[in-house]
Amino acid sequence: MGKDICIFIECKDGNIRKTNFELLSKADELSKKMASNLLAVIIGKDISSLADGITSYADRIVVVDDDVFKDYRCDVFTDTMEKITKKYDPFLIIGASTITGKDLFPRFAARIGAAFISDATGIELDEKGLKVRKPIYGGKIISWVSPKNAERVVITFRPNSFAIENGKRSGEIIKEKIDAEMDPRINLINITKGQSKKVDLQEADFIICGGRGMKDPENFKLLEEIAEIIGARVGASRAVVDSKWRDYEDQIGKSGKTVSPKLYIGCGVSGALHHTMGMDTSKVVVAINKDPNALIFQYADYGIVDDLFNILPALKEELISAKKEG
Amino acid sequence: MKILVFIKQVADTEARILIKGDNKSLEIENKYNLNFFDEFAVEEAIRLKTKLKDSKITVCTYGGKKAIEALRTAIAMGADQAFLIDNTDLDTEDPLITARILSEFAKKEGFDIILCGRQAIDDENGAIGAMVAEFLNIPHVSAILKLDVKDDKHMIVESDAEGGKGTIEVELPALFTTQKGINEPRVPLITGVMKAMKANIPVIDPTTLGLKKEELIKDTSKIEVLFYETPKARPPVKIIDGETPQEKAKKLVKLLKEEAKVL
Ligand SMILES: Cc1cc2nc3c(=O)[nH]c(=O)nc-3n(C[C@H](O)[C@H](O)[C@H](O)COP(=O)(O)OP(=O)(O)OC[C@H]3O[C@@H](n4cnc5c(N)ncnc54)[C@H](O)[C@@H]3O)c2cc1C
Ligand SMILES: Nc1ncnc2c1ncn2[C@@H]1O[C@H](COP(=O)(O)O)[C@@H](O)[C@H]1O
Repeated sequence: MGKDICIFIECKDGNIRKTNFELLSKADELSKKMASNLLAVIIGKDISSLADGITSYADRIVVVDDDVFKDYRCDVFTDTMEKITKKYDPFLIIGASTITGKDLFPRFAARIGAAFISDATGIELDEKGLKVRKPIYGGKIISWVSPKNAERVVITFRPNSFAIENGKRSGEIIKEKIDAEMDPRINLINITKGQSKKVDLQEADFIICGGRGMKDPENFKLLEEIAEIIGARVGASRAVVDSKWRDYEDQIGKSGKTVSPKLYIGCGVSGALHHTMGMDTSKVVVAINKDPNALIFQYADYGIVDDLFNILPALKEELISAKKEG
Repeated sequence: MKILVFIKQVADTEARILIKGDNKSLEIENKYNLNFFDEFAVEEAIRLKTKLKDSKITVCTYGGKKAIEALRTAIAMGADQAFLIDNTDLDTEDPLITARILSEFAKKEGFDIILCGRQAIDDENGAIGAMVAEFLNIPHVSAILKLDVKDDKHMIVESDAEGGKGTIEVELPALFTTQKGINEPRVPLITGVMKAMKANIPVIDPTTLGLKKEELIKDTSKIEVLFYETPKARPPVKIIDGETPQEKAKKLVKLLKEEAKVL
């Protein structure tokens, strides 16, 4: 049994996803403690050049570049990861809990019989071994989980769980040719890309979220403008999504996405439990609500009690001048 | 066509959850529901049944005796029959074990389509569906938003893909996990509730499914909960005051820059 750490790297729109740098940074720290090597795996089509971007983060970068990997397919990727695991024999396999990660890793873990811990937000190593931090019950409880009886361990982490550090390695790029098995029972008919939003909601550093207090879908322009200034993504509460003011993919909360940005700004969001379950892990929370008793203030670091239609234009101006000052 | 739905009974989101003194177990207020995402699975099964001739919906859970309530909810909605695989004294945190048991049940019961929820809102693993499919060596698609019947051997599903949507044709037998958006789960009618109350729900001993007890107990689990803790509470909110909106906005930006250091 090996003891190396393997990080599954995802590419999106011709780039390596930001969350992978978070995982590589954390794995760097772990691998030093475990005295193990770091292996990064990139699977895709025309992705070979991307490997250069992470040589400073891993000791070996395995690149599997072929037409069959153009679009993510569970069968093909599971098979490929299994073959890479057999060949390189890592002990710990880490990925991000993205749409792809959520689909691939449980099946892959079952295939190789590995211990599986998903959607974690932290990991520590002490004399007793690995300790993984996993929020459960919508974040009401933190469970510290440890693998046992396991030859291999597969863990997925939520985006924004770790800080990105500068890599100091000089990894070797290995081109692998893998004959991936395709399941004839699955036929990918097409993939439609939505209107390309700059960043994935779950990977966004800044989120400005509108609730029913925004009153009208037109008013979300205000949020878009502020988002533009600080490089944020606009999110929405379920009340907003149910009213069809915003797409479901923007929904934050229990039945939507779980986000942990550096900054979350809630505007006209009441802070119902089902909503806060999806944003409670944000580093800094700002709430703007005209009701001083709104629940959202219990989850916020900074609060403004006022009409958002007064505050947002002023906030926009302030952010523009703050940006000019640098 | 045999439609199998795996469901789980979970603590209500509003239920009070306390960590017991040993830090290794939880005390959960007695408020339980059918898992949020499983309602979509049951609903989709019922809609599928109306589209396919001679279909039968079987729901099943691996849980304690109490979980019969969730099975009854599914029957009240429209499922035809239910089974409880009793996990008394075998309660496990390892999704591999649960998935193994459910897949053995599926083999015994037979199936053309299996539906699961995207995720259980208690353990939040989002693992069982794909794992069951792997153990049964059938295709799976996660978090589907649409399920159309092409013919009696093929389904066309739509699911989230990175940055968009994917349309996939899948040959049966197959497993799909459901998410919000696929349908609006019905509220059971009183006649359904009456039927569910009277339904006979067989209880299955998991060791009769072809697995040995040693394979199911905590000792064989590949993961272990070391302890639970409550998340660190945020310090009390700082309400930003000021005479005018401009003043408040200015103070906020200053605090975000200088104190929180996020801008
Ligand atoms: C099973 C289940 C799952 C759910 N999942 C989710 C989920 O994933 N995500 C989610 O968000 N919700 C979810 N909900 C719904 C949730 O419980 C709330 O109903 C919802 O979050 C409320 O949305 P809101 O805050 O936008 O609207 P409201 O509760 O209507 O709040 C609007 C707020 O805006 C404020 N406001 C109004 N006008 C102004 C103004 N001019 N200036 C400033 N403030 C103003 C009001 O004071 C109020 O606090 C779920 C519910 C259930 C039952
Ligand atoms: N004990 C169980 N019995 C039956 N089905 C389950 C059980 N646990 C999970 N499932 C199903 O698997 C889905 C995903 O659960 P999980 O992997 O625990 O998040 C749930 O939505 C259910 O459909």
